[in-house]
Amino acid sequence: MTNYLSALAALLVAGGASAEPAAKLAAAPAGTHLAGAPHYHQGPGSTLTFTFDQAGAASQGSFKQFTTDLAFDEQNLAGSSLDVKVQISSLDTQDKDRDQTLAGADLFDVQKFPDATFVASSLARNANGKVEAAGKLTLRGVTRDLRIPLVIKPTATGLELTGETSINRLDYGIGQGEWKSTEWVGDTVKLNYKVALIKAAGG
Amino acid sequence: MTLRNTTTAWGSVSKALHWLIVLLIITQWVIASRAESLPLGVAKLEALAWHKSFGITILGLALIRIVWRLMNPTPELASVTKPWERVLARVSHFLLYALLFAIPLTGWMMSSARNFPVSWFKLVQLPDLVAPSQQMYELMHSLHVGLNVALPVIALLHIAGALKHHFIDRNDVLKRMLPFSGAK
Repeated sequence: MTNYLSALAALLVAGGASAEPAAKLAAAPAGTHLAGAPHYHQGPGSTLTFTFDQAGAASQGSFKQFTTDLAFDEQNLAGSSLDVKVQISSLDTQDKDRDQTLAGADLFDVQKFPDATFVASSLARNANGKVEAAGKLTLRGVTRDLRIPLVIKPTATGLELTGETSINRLDYGIGQGEWKSTEWVGDTVKLNYKVALIKAAGG
Repeated sequence: MTLRNTTTAWGSVSKALHWLIVLLIITQWVIASRAESLPLGVAKLEALAWHKSFGITILGLALIRIVWRLMNPTPELASVTKPWERVLARVSHFLLYALLFAIPLTGWMMSSARNFPVSWFKLVQLPDLVAPSQQMYELMHSLHVGLNVALPVIALLHIAGALKHHFIDRNDVLKRMLPFSGAK
């Protein structure tokens, strides 16, 4: 079982690094899916927003393009998994100047690091009984462990996954040169996610 | 010098508000012209943060000033003032007060429209007045800039009037607004 899980994790990581993780997952042999938790992929209406402090005011932006793949079985969290890939160039703070600055080399450096990924090869319950994904977030070429809470509710077509977490932008090198200063742009960035997940056929 | 106004003299509260606002407006022009010349970076964010904080301060002081003016007698215009001078004085005073509100408010709306919310000295975040929109931002930016052309023009008229009272009419209209002049 452990071997199988790490194989699945490797597949997810590989999927995250390729251009189309969803397609890759779908192309996996049907047998692989059936043995594990049911699979879900991201549907329309999903949002991923980030909130940061700019000169004392909470400012908001969002990533318009991202994909989420979830294998989820509430009775088998160890066999569940989460794989998210975010296209950084899709960031939108409703101001073109700021979006361009954020995409630049000193901040997200989109040219060099077009994607961010979050990969958790298993889920678990925390001390309070809430479902969490303990995974690895890769952002601007830096990979760090990150636990994120997941509130998962059934919907007509699959599941809805929501939650929020906070990360420190400087942990990932988002802020080089003058942007290392946290006086006018805070280090803490809050992430809010609300993802509609559709049950994959045969998953 | 008393705190309150009388029918012939401005009290110290009115004078303090008048001159504090003058100083803040000049500071705002200096900060704004500096911010305009900077690329989007930490220095610009800092300049704009001060600009917004001072702007909201002006808005608050303008509000206090209006309330204080309504609660107090307003010193009468000099008895020699001609009817057309009275009209000009009233209109220019009204416009100056209006600009003290309109300029900060258009600036605040500009910030909201650009999704750069306003914080007052990092102490209080103010609500957004309008939803983010490039069109709204451009409209408010034009208004904010345009009103800041009108302000010095009317202020110059105001100063010219005060100087005329002092040097030509030789009355105490100018002197009675000076910071440390005693009330008669």
